Amino acid sequence: MEYQQNLDTTSRGQRLINWIDERYRMRELMGAMLHVYIPKESKTYYLGGITLLLFLVQVVTGSLLALYYRGTPDEAYDSVMFITSTVQFGWLIRSIHAWGANLMVIFCIIHLLRVFFQAAYKAPRELTWGVGVALLLVTMGFGFTGYLLPWDQRAYWATTVGSEMAGAVPIGGEFLLRFLRGGETIAAATLSRFYGIHTLILPMTIAALIGIHLLLIHQQGLANPRQPAKTAPEGNLPKKGKPFFPNYVLGEVVSWYMIIGLLIILASLFPVGLEAKANPLETPPHVKPEWYFLSLYQILKFVPRVMGVLLPMVAILMLFLLPFIDRNPEVLPRKRPAMVTLGIMALIVIIAFTVWGKIS
Amino acid sequence: MRTNKIDARIVFGIISVLIVLLSLVMITSAQSSASGEATPAPKATATAGKIKHGTIGFSNCLKCHLDGFREAPIMPGDDHATYNDNDVCLDCHEPNTPEDGTVWKNLLPGSTPVPIQHPASNGLNTCYDCHLELGDQLTDIAQMWIESVHGKAGIGCADCHGGDPNTDEMKLAMQTESGYIGVPPRLVTPQICGGCHSDVERMRSYKLPTDQYAKYTQSVHGKKLRQNNDTRVAICTDCHGSHNVKKGSDSTAPIYPVNVPELCAGCHADTTLMESYGIPTNQYEVYKSSVHGKLLLEEQDVRAPTCASCHGSHDAKPPTSDEVVNVCGKCHTATEDLYGQSLHSRIGDNAPKCWTCHGTHDVFKTGEEMFMNHKPQEDKACTSCHLDNKSFRMDKARFAQKEDRRCDTCHHEGSRIMRQVTGIYVALNDANTVYEETESAIKKASALGMIVTDAEIKLREARTSLISARAAVHTTKLPVVTKFTDEVETSAEVAKTIADGKLQENFFRRFSMIIAVVIIIVIIITLSYLKRKIDRELEKES
Repeated sequence: MEYQQNLDTTSRGQRLINWIDERYRMRELMGAMLHVYIPKESKTYYLGGITLLLFLVQVVTGSLLALYYRGTPDEAYDSVMFITSTVQFGWLIRSIHAWGANLMVIFCIIHLLRVFFQAAYKAPRELTWGVGVALLLVTMGFGFTGYLLPWDQRAYWATTVGSEMAGAVPIGGEFLLRFLRGGETIAAATLSRFYGIHTLILPMTIAALIGIHLLLIHQQGLANPRQPAKTAPEGNLPKKGKPFFPNYVLGEVVSWYMIIGLLIILASLFPVGLEAKANPLETPPHVKPEWYFLSLYQILKFVPRVMGVLLPMVAILMLFLLPFIDRNPEVLPRKRPAMVTLGIMALIVIIAFTVWGKIS
Repeated sequence: MRTNKIDARIVFGIISVLIVLLSLVMITSAQSSASGEATPAPKATATAGKIKHGTIGFSNCLKCHLDGFREAPIMPGDDHATYNDNDVCLDCHEPNTPEDGTVWKNLLPGSTPVPIQHPASNGLNTCYDCHLELGDQLTDIAQMWIESVHGKAGIGCADCHGGDPNTDEMKLAMQTESGYIGVPPRLVTPQICGGCHSDVERMRSYKLPTDQYAKYTQSVHGKKLRQNNDTRVAICTDCHGSHNVKKGSDSTAPIYPVNVPELCAGCHADTTLMESYGIPTNQYEVYKSSVHGKLLLEEQDVRAPTCASCHGSHDAKPPTSDEVVNVCGKCHTATEDLYGQSLHSRIGDNAPKCWTCHGTHDVFKTGEEMFMNHKPQEDKACTSCHLDNKSFRMDKARFAQKEDRRCDTCHHEGSRIMRQVTGIYVALNDANTVYEETESAIKKASALGMIVTDAEIKLREARTSLISARAAVHTTKLPVVTKFTDEVETSAEVAKTIADGKLQENFFRRFSMIIAVVIIIVIIITLSYLKRKIDRELEKES
């Protein structure tokens, strides 16, 4: 009877929600996910959220592209040409996918820098940091494998020089090179391999990593950039923080709209082009890998190959282990000058080599 | 009677003794003359009035006699105390010239070249071994030889200089009996080289042609050498080097295409040397700024013609006016065919040839200015363009300047031919304008990020037709030219339609982008307002 009354007094939408909630207790789940509080001092600049948005954009645009793309050397180039010049809004989807990829790498890096300079990687967030670094590597893997797919001259030769770097890895470098290329040179095996990695292996990996990353963040809450974190989480303290929903989420949505606007502007004003079809017999002048591998590529020109590959490998390992290496509990930049200086110096070196690689 | 007999015996005996004595004197005299000991060479009795040198081919006396090289008597000695100048030696002594030496007999101009005769090498080259130790120039030539094509192929010193390459006794190695000839005189050098290089069997393993010597004998250089004994002309070693001969494909070789103009200029830009031949010396300077010279020397494009491409190398000679068409046609085959269809080609010797419009060493980039200069023309006579002699050929001087190489230099203004020329000019001009407009539209669309591959394909078709139209000018026929210019316009119009479509699409994209961005900005402003509102409420609560 009471049940019947309830139905009478509520709207249809509410009734539907109630219907679901009675069965699956969704309100509780949503409450646990959304109705949490974050420190008032937190300044995330929504960078992680933006990266997540860009990932979602890539999933949507990538799925649409996969409807037309054909991953064989004979057909890849023509299918991309078809997408770009004939398919309705194909140019827009492809351009957004390409620009989105670049922005995703950029925002991944800026997000990492924000976490580094705010010392948010420190205990108890070591694992969140590690997963974050892994996410950056996977994102770059997406970029590397996706770059080859249009099968034009730029794609082919950038991948050639990019994969050459893998060959320089000491012990097993040759194997790694052959494993990547599926043979001695970049050919049909490489293309189908890269396409498979780009659309199956990496998406599953990144989805799992993002899930873990978000779960860990949810469990620990956001770090306070003003105060050193306590090892044990403080729990959900409404009075000390501001609500995640709707205050923070609203800010996030605003930032998402900005990024969507930026993507539309970039894709419209600078649509991604297509060079001549890949020709393994004709090496174009000034072959360079994508911009995020440029610094490494430039360094490789000056140091011995083994050294040039070992150096970034050690750097990545150090990045993973950063929370364990830097045991200073302080979070304010002025109280951790050595680490901040080191970070700025590393950043300057990477930017300098990237610019140098670009103009040389 | 008895007395008569005795008298006769005495007379016979005396005569016999006298004959024997005379014979002895003659034999002794002959022996001493052969050994060269007794009789001082009478200066006045030699044919040229001079003392012949013992070995062959040396005119630089002090080279050996100053330090006793090859056991030569050291000069100045006691009896020649004041003679320390080569010229002074040559006052009384005469170098042994090839004509005198038996070794040169088979190398004299006109004879078939045969290899230098010398003892076969037993895998040794003692010349090289010693020369390497001698220092200065003598060591340099040894080092150059070992690096040369000949050194690498095992063609030894003796193959050009004669001598015995097996003995380390210098005197034995370098004696006339061993076939030693020293430095081959320029007059016979081509025959020495030809001795091997004309030998089909010998050259087969090197995949080298064997007609160089035959060609050389027909060349201006070879003829002057053989007929006039003029040793100033180019011989094999002047172009290929002597001890340091390199392959033609070696970029450091003097005969490598890019180096050829400078090589020829070595002699042909020498005003002193060329004066006696009456040949101009500015060809290299003129060539350097021509389209061919720029392509070869600046862009290092070895497909561009060098001096040898038109004049020949071993068979070097200036092509005659008639031959110019054939020479240019070696590379410009299609143009040669088109020229063959023209009235110009049918007139014969007196007609304009390639050089009349394009020049020779100064071939320049062609352009529309070659039709007419749009200035009032003076009345023309036959001699305005043709030589005022029986040959009636085109006057080279009239076309010496680039700006004079035009159709209206020869053809009368308002003539039927000039009307045809004007028609060709207008057709080409119009086609070019359409092409450039289309190219500009495609570039504009491409700069906006549009993919214009399909338009570019059509533009390439238009370009091919435009090139064909320009080349068709050589037929001097308006219908042939307009056939191609019409093709240019058809292809260019299709390409332009595609490019204009791309530009319109780009406008639509940008317009849509503005609308989308405006909507997004409105949403952002609204959401930001909402956020500020709830943030303030939160602050009030806390």
